[in-house]
Amino acid sequence: MNISIKFLERYINLPKELTYEKIAYDLTMRTVEVEEVINTADKFHDIVVGEIKEVRSHPNADTLRICMVDVGEGELKQIVCGGSNLTAGHKVCVAKPGSEVVWHGEGEPVLLKETKLRGESSYGMICSPGEVYLGDIIATEDEREITDFTELGIDCEIGQSVAEVMGLDDVILVVDNKSLSNRPDLWGHYGVARELAAIYKLPLKELETALPEGLPEYKVTIEEPDRCPRFTATKIENIHVKESPQWMKTLIANAGMRPINAIVDITNFVLMAVGQPQHAYDSTHVQGDEIVVRLAKDGEQLLLLDEKDLDLTNDHLVICDAENPLNLAGIKGGKDDSVLDSTESIILECAVFTAPGIRRTTAYFNEKTDAALRYEKGIDTQRANLGVNMALSLFKEIYPECRITAFTDCYPIQTENVKIDITQEFLDRRLGEVLERSEIIDILTRLGYEVEFDKGTYHCMAPTWRSTGDVSIHDDILGDIARLIGYEYFRKQPLTIRFDSSVNQVKVDLARKLKEYLAFRCGFNEIFTYPWVDEKYIHAAGIKDEETVKLATPPSPEQGMLRSSLIPGMLESIVGNERYYDKFCIFESAQVFEPGEYHPSTEEETLPVHRNYLTGAAAGRDAASLFYRVKGAVENMAGYCHFEKLEFAQKEKPSWADEKAWLNLMSGDTNVGSIGLISVAALSSAGVKNLSGAAFEIDTDKLIPYPSRTNEFEHLPLYPLVEQDMSVLVDESVKWADIEGSIDKMVKEVRFVEEYRGKQIPEGKKSIMFRYKIGNDDSTMTSKQIEKKMGAIINVLQKKVGAELR
Amino acid sequence: MLDKLKDIQSQGIESIASAADVDALEAVRKELTGKRSSLQEVLKSLGSLEPDMRKSVGMKANEIKNLFSEKIQEREKELVAVASAIKGELDLTLPGTAVTAGALHPITQMCYDLNDAFRSLGFEIYSEDDISSEKFAFDNLNFAADHPARASMDTYWLEGTEDKRGNERLCLRPHLTGGSVRYLLEKGAPCRFVYPGRVYRNETTDARHERAFFQYEALIVDRDVSFSSGRVMIETILEKVFGRKVNVRMREGFFPFTEPGYEIDMECLLCGGEGCKACNQAGWIEVMPGGVIHPNVLRAANLDPDEWTGFYTNIGLDRLVMMRYGVDDVRLFHSADLRFLEQFK
Repeated sequence: MNISIKFLERYINLPKELTYEKIAYDLTMRTVEVEEVINTADKFHDIVVGEIKEVRSHPNADTLRICMVDVGEGELKQIVCGGSNLTAGHKVCVAKPGSEVVWHGEGEPVLLKETKLRGESSYGMICSPGEVYLGDIIATEDEREITDFTELGIDCEIGQSVAEVMGLDDVILVVDNKSLSNRPDLWGHYGVARELAAIYKLPLKELETALPEGLPEYKVTIEEPDRCPRFTATKIENIHVKESPQWMKTLIANAGMRPINAIVDITNFVLMAVGQPQHAYDSTHVQGDEIVVRLAKDGEQLLLLDEKDLDLTNDHLVICDAENPLNLAGIKGGKDDSVLDSTESIILECAVFTAPGIRRTTAYFNEKTDAALRYEKGIDTQRANLGVNMALSLFKEIYPECRITAFTDCYPIQTENVKIDITQEFLDRRLGEVLERSEIIDILTRLGYEVEFDKGTYHCMAPTWRSTGDVSIHDDILGDIARLIGYEYFRKQPLTIRFDSSVNQVKVDLARKLKEYLAFRCGFNEIFTYPWVDEKYIHAAGIKDEETVKLATPPSPEQGMLRSSLIPGMLESIVGNERYYDKFCIFESAQVFEPGEYHPSTEEETLPVHRNYLTGAAAGRDAASLFYRVKGAVENMAGYCHFEKLEFAQKEKPSWADEKAWLNLMSGDTNVGSIGLISVAALSSAGVKNLSGAAFEIDTDKLIPYPSRTNEFEHLPLYPLVEQDMSVLVDESVKWADIEGSIDKMVKEVRFVEEYRGKQIPEGKKSIMFRYKIGNDDSTMTSKQIEKKMGAIINVLQKKVGAELR
Repeated sequence: MLDKLKDIQSQGIESIASAADVDALEAVRKELTGKRSSLQEVLKSLGSLEPDMRKSVGMKANEIKNLFSEKIQEREKELVAVASAIKGELDLTLPGTAVTAGALHPITQMCYDLNDAFRSLGFEIYSEDDISSEKFAFDNLNFAADHPARASMDTYWLEGTEDKRGNERLCLRPHLTGGSVRYLLEKGAPCRFVYPGRVYRNETTDARHERAFFQYEALIVDRDVSFSSGRVMIETILEKVFGRKVNVRMREGFFPFTEPGYEIDMECLLCGGEGCKACNQAGWIEVMPGGVIHPNVLRAANLDPDEWTGFYTNIGLDRLVMMRYGVDDVRLFHSADLRFLEQFK
């Protein structure tokens, strides 16, 4: 909503010392955020009134004239102009050098410079209304017509700013409609003025509420009072379509609407003044001289003003004549009833429709009109008085000849003032400080409440304009008091610290340790991907559609499935990054979903199964080394992150893994995840071009964190240990685990060093190098003992795995 | 013979003094005192000398030998004091050996910074699941039955549940606040906890808008707690996160689950409150909506609103991280683009 200061000033006298910035700030802090302050005069800089003193023809162009113009700077200025009606004595718009104008009223503004046109110098430009942003409020016959202010009846002086002359030296406070949702009383300048009056303790102009009396009734029937608690109809005759007076056009334009004709403009003006929507029906189109407010019949049709054809259902409220729907109640006018050039009399509707129905219908037809926007926030029925009164006085002012010939106020339900009690004790406790009783009463009274204090309790009656849902509990009143004092003025009260328990959350801590371990120790980069994944990657990972949870309205048709694994996201990220990197490691920690049943909070609520997954991938050229890279990260995870150790086993191949290279991760008997090379098929269906990949995935909920660190201190050896390397030749089929398992009981420690195949190694064999430590517990080993041990190790290896010393 | 020894001594001292490094000194030592040194030869030849001479030459030779080892030690000390481990040149401008650590996502880093700050104030860390129900995402939070946020234009409903209601209508959670009631139902009051996480909205994306984004919410529920504590808490937290005092202001705001509600703005750190592109010339950034927990929400959590009160603070993590690093496109956070992510090591 655009709040025009000039519009506000019709209802409140804002003191000179009150700057617009200050008003914007105070509204922001206390009521609603002002997003922008626009000075409408800014775009009119260097555009002034000039008087044409002399017009002569241009020697080199038939369509141009040379004018000598007085712009209030002493000497006359020569301006070349193509206007069709240039006449000496006319007072016209002159754009001086440095101003910005819109050529022929179209496109972006351009900066004006002194120039020559067909050989004749031209100081500036004599402009048509459209060229200086006045197209909406000054009508012209054709675009070359230059407006004469004197002819329009506008008082002005030579050299005076055009913005000032036209009343466009206004300041606009821009407020986002969304932030006004809870304050329907502010959807109009009068409401904003009332709020400012409360903030600044200023008097507010009282608006007339009297309704016409002693007139014949116009027949109105409300069949659905819950949807339409009030409907007034006024018949106004002897009017015709014409332009609105200049002042009204200006205010309407400043507040962000386009002036159309006086009849429509009056309804729009009232809308912007008091937030009360109105609608004018050409009375000759209302069949049977009667209005019926009813639900549409299923299948009934309505053609809207903009030619849109609606198929109505019986949840849609319509305003009908004796026969047919005329318009969609509170939302949009129909084609057949609207004001035409030939209109001579109207039925003016000023009605209230309740919010829920308007919201449903608006959403159903996707019709967000100015009227619907206001009705769907909730309007009090009393507001119609302001609307009728203001509209009728405007009609009388603009059409002195008009006759008001009928009036009906059909008013089945009245908005009740909300009554709320609030105690002093509650206020003191929640505000954190004690306010004077007089101050509380003063604040609430300024906001329109009627307050009585009795035995520690304030009995508050909210004004009707706050009684349509906005104010309903004592906390609302607390809020009104707090914001009007200003949150910034409350004494700061630090939080107390409690010492009765420590925060000890091992699961939370484990999640963080895992991430920090992968990033800082293993060199993986954390990524985030969306929970909806392109089905291409889901299918590439071998996941079936029925294993996923789906979105009703996905971001795009191919992103309808939610992830049941983080592997698809890994595939997508490998594709994205392989354009820039030939080697990288990434990981993600997020929830994945599966159809199933899960009750996190209550038995009544059943959610799909959630798992907290941690998944990583290493991408690069050499598949085997990627596999070991990932294996290393997983192997050491339990030790560094302090949870119960994981064992490797082959139980069930993950859908994304290579035929040969995969392992499951076991915590006791529980399968907690897998590691493996990403299958060639998965990589190719995902569109990975050059790289191989290895991945791990872990269901972190299944990890068992230690409550604290559990490693036990080990004594340093009393006697030196002997460390030796040994290389043995074994068959390709022999596994490291076989070698390690054969000798681990004989030594203090054994570690794999490297595997080697090459020239010196016979076909079908491989060389394994490992390092072991041996020693006595009670003495230093002698060289004899060392030799003996070595021989024993070779012997065992020979027997168990057929190894030969290399 | 004694003259010869004199020559040996003076030449020897000279060679010791001119040895340029430890290796050269070692060579000198061998030459002067080794088995084939002239001094050794003199000592070998003692037997053939007159007994008188034998004694004085012998004494002199030993004296020289001792002198040599003394001088050599001295020289060695001098040389070690100025010695370098590097023979030849070392290019000090070559880069050092690379460190191969990865990085946490900048959002995670900010989240952990906040966790540390809140933990130090005794807050627990809680998390709700990504999928929730209309009951928890809207009904419990006092959203009107026909609130526009419930529409599929705003919220991602799950297929097959979109036309149901309440507990049976499921969605990717549109905000974190629903989790607060889950916590309260499980653990009751008094309590103070934070619940960071990702939320989802059906939106058109651009540099400032995302469909998946991160929030960080805190809730305190207690018997007597004033909303003005909320501002103090935020000031404390921001100071800890940014390492310096950050000005904040608290102003009127509206949310269905609060009454009263407020917005906490922080001074724009890019322009210091002067007004710039990042803050839309306002000088303030709207980062933290909050407010006093609405009585209806307390009721949904089986708590008596006459006994309990408390306040929410919701921090827009994306916005805060964008402020911290000057990131100008929110979509980068979900890009998984390592060229971006590697900058946050």
